[in-house]
Amino acid sequence: MIFWEIAKRNLRIHLLRSTLAMLGIVIGVVAIASMGILGNTLVLSVSDSLHTVGDSVIVSPYTGGGSGFRQGGGVGSTSLKITDQQYQQIKRAVAPNIAIPVLQTSDIMKLGVGSDTIVAPIYGLNPDDVPNLMKLKAGSYSRSDSGILVGSTFATDHNVNVGSRISIGTDGDKGTLRVTGIIEERGISFDISTDSAVVVTQNWFDTTYNRIDYDTVVVKVDQGVDSAVVKTTIEKQMNKRDKVVSVMDSKATLATIFTAFGAITTFVTAIGGISMIVAGVSIFNIMMMSVSERIKEIGIMRSIGTQKREVMSMFIYEAAILGVIGSVIGGVLSIIAGYGVSALLLNTTKYLFVWSSAIPIIEGVCFGIIISLACGVYPAWKAANLIPIEAMRHE
Amino acid sequence: MGDPPVMVFKDVVKVYPLPSGDVTALDGVSFKVDRGEFISIMGPSGSGKSTLLNLMGCLDTPTSGDIYISGIRTGDMSDKELTELRRDRIGFIFQYFNLFPLLNIIENVTFPMMLKSQKEVDPEKGRAALRLVQLDDSLFTHTPTEISGGQQQRVAVARALINDPDILLCDEPTGNLDSKTGAGIMELMSELNRKGTTIIMVTHDPNIAKYSRRTILIADGRIVE
Repeated sequence: MIFWEIAKRNLRIHLLRSTLAMLGIVIGVVAIASMGILGNTLVLSVSDSLHTVGDSVIVSPYTGGGSGFRQGGGVGSTSLKITDQQYQQIKRAVAPNIAIPVLQTSDIMKLGVGSDTIVAPIYGLNPDDVPNLMKLKAGSYSRSDSGILVGSTFATDHNVNVGSRISIGTDGDKGTLRVTGIIEERGISFDISTDSAVVVTQNWFDTTYNRIDYDTVVVKVDQGVDSAVVKTTIEKQMNKRDKVVSVMDSKATLATIFTAFGAITTFVTAIGGISMIVAGVSIFNIMMMSVSERIKEIGIMRSIGTQKREVMSMFIYEAAILGVIGSVIGGVLSIIAGYGVSALLLNTTKYLFVWSSAIPIIEGVCFGIIISLACGVYPAWKAANLIPIEAMRHE
Repeated sequence: MGDPPVMVFKDVVKVYPLPSGDVTALDGVSFKVDRGEFISIMGPSGSGKSTLLNLMGCLDTPTSGDIYISGIRTGDMSDKELTELRRDRIGFIFQYFNLFPLLNIIENVTFPMMLKSQKEVDPEKGRAALRLVQLDDSLFTHTPTEISGGQQQRVAVARALINDPDILLCDEPTGNLDSKTGAGIMELMSELNRKGTTIIMVTHDPNIAKYSRRTILIADGRIVE
């Protein structure tokens, strides 16, 4: 192990330049790992928000065609609708999966005496379907037309509790409903976004807005059933002659989103990788300097019986020491950097200490070591292949 | 039948091809060196001394002719085999000592042993070799830059001897020393030769050549005496 010892001592006597080369690797690893951690945190965060809607197929009227749809009623609604007949066709096609018709509008509402009026989305749902779409964090589901559910953001923003009363319409002309439950936060979703909305019974909605057609139909796909198959079934059933509905598979959409996030993560990590390449060039440079300074020494070594591979190993050890120490320090620092970046940009660090966040750190460390070794190979090879007589004459 | 000669040169020619024309550095050189000899090689600058030394040390290959080291023909050897031959059978002593600055004295001396054994070696063997060349024990853990030129050359001699080589090749071993220190080194070489070490020494100094028992005089790439 004399060559290992020589490698260590050579780095020690050139401490400043060794440290600078190592610093390059540290920065490279931190850049790669922290970008990877950020990307992973982003994916996990979005995944957490969207996983509840990953089992839905959403059917909406085809806006590019429009034949076979009636104009719907309701405040400000001029869009195409899905008829009850079409809903029944969808329901039969997807059975035993549940097809939930959804009515949607928005209206003025007042939350109590003296309070400001607001405008919020209103969903009309069959009370039997509500538990299939959402969970409550307080109160209970309402079967009565006089009951209303409110989204969690809506409740927080407007200080609404179970038992509060909400008057709908100008001066409450459409009626006053009692809050029976507060819906659990659902985050971003493809079917219905209830966080800042209210949910009433389908019956109340029909009566109040004189609506008999639906805005969308949400199909909840049973576990073990391929949502892509359900989507195809609906399309085959409904779009036989003309395209009358658009069908969105939320799982496929999620996959697309995650693919996009993956691409973004790869891109930002690749940008971090550029700094690693720069660090590699630095290692290459100091290794070439090390070889140039020690040509005569290499010549002496070769003349007294040192094999080429032993000379090579001496320089590879130097590159390895720089790479391993730099990468490990970089790995440790990237946890801190990842923490900071996640806290700063995503306002959460809860995804930092999970296995998938460790992967970019491991990748960064491995990449740092590999780059260092790769950049040490040519100088080491050059040193090993010096002609001993010429090397000994070198001054 | 006695031991084979430790070195045999048979009609060795070395030509350096240069753009301005081929230069013949050695032209049909033949000689043999028996075990226990102390030979000095002398000649003017450009006569071919260094080329001869490089060929004897297996650091270069002849254009034609054969070289045998301890009965082994070197002509067909690979770089790996030649390196092993240098490591195991030849000890080198250079004009500028050429110790490794990153290693201390003991490590410098035991370096060829480590190359041969491929593992850690007993430093006591290094100490014994250093005592043989009369280096003070207190200097063993110093680095080469912390000791004098004469002391460095003694360390170089110890390093050259550590693997019990068949031949000690010396290139102007006193060329970088004052006359008194140089005389001390030559006394040491004579002592080693008396104990059986075969020594071949290149020098241009007739006073140093006097320590040897045979002189090969070379001029224009040919042995003239």
